[in-house]
Order: sequence, then C-alpha cells, then structure tokens
Amino acid sequence: MDQNILESLSGLDRADLPRILSALPFGVAVLDAERRTLFLNRALESLTGFSTADVAGVFCRHVLRGSFCLHGCPCLSQGRDCAPGACSESREGTLINRHRRKIPVRLTSLPILDRAGNFLCTLDVLEDLSALKDMETRLSISASPGQMVGRCAVMEHLLRILPAVAQSDSPVLLTGESGTGKDLLAEALHRFSPRARESFVRVNATPMPEALLDAELFGQSEGPGGVPRPGKFQLAQNGTLYLSEIADMPLAQQGRLLRLLDEKAVLPAGGDRPMHLNVRVVAATGRDPEEMVKAGVLRDDLFHRLNAVRLHLPPLRERGEDVGFLLAHYLKIFAAKFRKQVLGFSDEALSLLTSYDYPGNVRELRNMVEYAVMVCAGETVQPEHLPAHLRFPLAAGSSVATQASQAQGKPSGALKPARKKA
Amino acid sequence: MGKKILVTLYRDEVAPRFDLCSEVLLVTVDATGHEVRRQDLVLANSSADDLCDLILDREVAAVITGGIEEEHYHYLRWKRVEVIDGVAGLSGEALALYLRGELEPGAILFQRLSHE
Repeated sequence: MDQNILESLSGLDRADLPRILSALPFGVAVLDAERRTLFLNRALESLTGFSTADVAGVFCRHVLRGSFCLHGCPCLSQGRDCAPGACSESREGTLINRHRRKIPVRLTSLPILDRAGNFLCTLDVLEDLSALKDMETRLSISASPGQMVGRCAVMEHLLRILPAVAQSDSPVLLTGESGTGKDLLAEALHRFSPRARESFVRVNATPMPEALLDAELFGQSEGPGGVPRPGKFQLAQNGTLYLSEIADMPLAQQGRLLRLLDEKAVLPAGGDRPMHLNVRVVAATGRDPEEMVKAGVLRDDLFHRLNAVRLHLPPLRERGEDVGFLLAHYLKIFAAKFRKQVLGFSDEALSLLTSYDYPGNVRELRNMVEYAVMVCAGETVQPEHLPAHLRFPLAAGSSVATQASQAQGKPSGALKPARKKA
Repeated sequence: MGKKILVTLYRDEVAPRFDLCSEVLLVTVDATGHEVRRQDLVLANSSADDLCDLILDREVAAVITGGIEEEHYHYLRWKRVEVIDGVAGLSGEALALYLRGELEPGAILFQRLSHE
C-alpha cells in the first residue's frame, strides 16, 4: 500500500498496515466509500490475479468480479453505489479471476469507522472455498447413502442408524419388497463401513447347476487350465459380499455360507485346504424370511445368524409423505440430467401420481418421473406426460369389475385412494 | 463487409461478468467501421450458455466483456468469435477503442489512483 493510499485511510495511521494485512491467510481488499479499490493484500492478489498497482481506484466489482457484486450486494440492490457501512454481512458466491478461473468464495464486508463513527473504508474479506467445496463434493459422493432419501419416520430412523450398523461387522439381513431400495441400502452399508475401500461384490444366486454355483461362489482349487479360480467370496476378500436374494440360494450352499460365517474360512471346490476369508455378508430378500424358513426354503440356523441385524425397507405405499418428496426429488434430478426446465407437476398430474399405489415401489416412481420429464416440453408435467397405465388404467388390462367401478366414478384397483392427501 | 460487435452491459459499464450479464449492446458497423445499427438487448436471464447461443445466432464477430470463464472463452474462440475479455470501463469508451483497434484484453479504462 503506497503512501497516497495510506493517506486516504486517514485515521488508520499505521504504516505497517499493508504488511499486517498481507500476512493474513485470506484475501483482504480495502475499499473507499464508493467501493473503489485502495489495496489488495497478497492473498487476494494471488486469488484475483490483479496487483494493487493494476487496480487502485477501480470499482471493486471489476476487480473481484463476484457473483455477489451484481446479484446480491445490498448496496446495489438499494439502487445506490454502496453507502458507507451498508454492506456488513457474509455471503457465498463465486469470482472469476484474471486467469478466467471461477473460484467459490465467501465474502465478508466490514465497514471501518473512526472513533467519531465516521466511515473510513471497507474491508472486504474473501475466503477461498475451493478446497472446502472439493471436499464437500468428495464427501457427498463417497458418503451419501447411495441416493437413498426419505422423510417419513421409518426412513429417517433407518438412515439415522445406518452409519452405526455399517460400522459394525455383523451380517445384515435386508428385507423389503422389490423396488424399495435393498440394493442401494447394501451399497450404503458398504460405503459407510471400514471396508469402504475394499470390494463390494454382488451375488445373484440365479438358478444354475449346484456344482457350477458352488464354484461361482466359493471358487475352484483347479479351474480351467489348472489355475485356481477365485469365487465371489474370495473376490470380496476384506470387503462386503451382497447376496441379493438369499431365497434363490440352494440349501447346500446355504450350509456352506453358514460355515463361512462361523469359521471365517471356505473350502474351494476340489480343494483340501480351507482358505481364510475376511468378508462381511449382507443378504437380502423380497419375501418374508420367517415364511421362507417355515416353507423350508431358508435354513433356520442361517436365518438366525443373518437376522442378528435386520433392516426392513417399507413399501412406498406405507411411506406417506415420501411420495411427494420423492416426486420432487426425482423431478429435479431428471430435469438436470436431461437439461430441461421442468419445474413441477400440475395439480392433475400430482393427483394421479399421489393416488397411485406403486406396486413397483420407488423404482416405479423413479421410472415414471424419468419418463414424464423426458416427454414434457414445458415447465410443468401434465397428465399427458405420465405413462398411459396411470392415466388410463383400463388400457392396462383391468377387469370388467374395474371398468364398472370406473363408470361409477370410483378409482380402479391400481388407483387406490387410501393414501390420498387430505 | 460489416460486422457485429457485442458488448456485455452493467449499467453504462462493460459487465464485470459475462455469465451474470443481463443486458447487451449489439452494434453493427460497416466495412469502414462506421456504426450503422445499435441495439440494446435485455436478456431473459443471466446465463453464459444462452449468451453464447445469442452470439452465434446473431453472427457476432467480436465480444467485449469483463470476466469470462475459460470454458466459454475457448468455446467462442473455437467458433471464431473474437473475445476481448477482462475489460473494465465504460461501455462506450471500450467500443470506441475497439473500433479504433486500440482495445486490448484486460484493459482497465477507469482512472486509476496514482502510485507515485
């Protein structure tokens, strides 16, 4: 800060002020009453790419080039050019520096007054939020529970206990109808767990010959070409193994799985030496596990082993207010994905969507919103943008009885009014 | 052959930010550099993407603006639009300098405090 500028800060008679300001770890601009730049400290020179000599006397909006300068500066919104002391709050925004880089920043404007209360100058303090924003992005990607959202009491409870369950190493049993989000929950359990850096291996025990399934799951001591072939459990070593439908697993493999959970070791097909494994098992089923045990499809001992921690995902029809919330949530996501200015649903469309039963649960709702946003040409989703089976339940093959109820003005089976908002 | 010059506006100044500009001055000059048409366009919203579209739709040859993100700068350059960015000053003065071939990127046209 040269002598002329220092003189303009009469009252701040500190010759070492520039040195003090430049030692600060955040950007500081000293501005006069008209918000002309008097001084930039070293951090702000680095942030903006301008030196004090370049911009002394230039309006701060041309130096900081902040989003808050044009949209949100209280001085400008009042239609005057920054009365002394008018700006004294913090706000976040971006600036574009001399090197054409957009940088997220937090600006705090502090009016400096003399002892008589007369305005001397403004200190604009700018913090570079780049590192913070990067961190937020990384955390939101790595720590978000896999796009699982919900505001109803059950989902809130589930999302609240999720981190604690994930941190434990116990096997987990996930139950819930198809489309409720069991796969997402399993991924979230892995991502929140200490095993997050290791593999997450999903196993779909689709019907296949038992020997093949055995090799697929537990590996072979001698695979093709005489080379040992790792199974899914070996691939999940130190990570998480997710069995997407435990009921599809034959009883023999269920027995081997139980031994693996107890002994932490597995014997590959054709091998004679057990292999030590450190794998967390998360299993899921869309059916009632107690009924499966009764029916003999699920081993009783395995059920009790897995049932130590059981998380149940409710069907969408039992999630009350979540339907509206999820509609808005997915609308926002797909509008951004398809780069469309779709802002909401018309009353008629919303009425159809909120009174529908969603047998396919969140997956079905998500697909409907995706379709609606895709075909919507305006700002509001109208009934004609919804799938035909929602608008014309008769076309979806409803029965004569349903047609009769429609004729009487009653909703069809697929359009139960049970959850219609009051 | 004439050409079109677009100046992003903030009041009577060159807008400090290309992406936040909501008004532009579009000037058509003939082959001798004389102004033949001047239009003030108020934009529906502030958007760098929309402004780039407008610039290409109107077949603008040169853009005078303040801060612009690298992405949009290179996009316009790639579309063979001359971009004189980082200009701080009154829009009329910046335009006049450009027409005289004296406007440089990063030009600060406001009076600066003496450093002597």
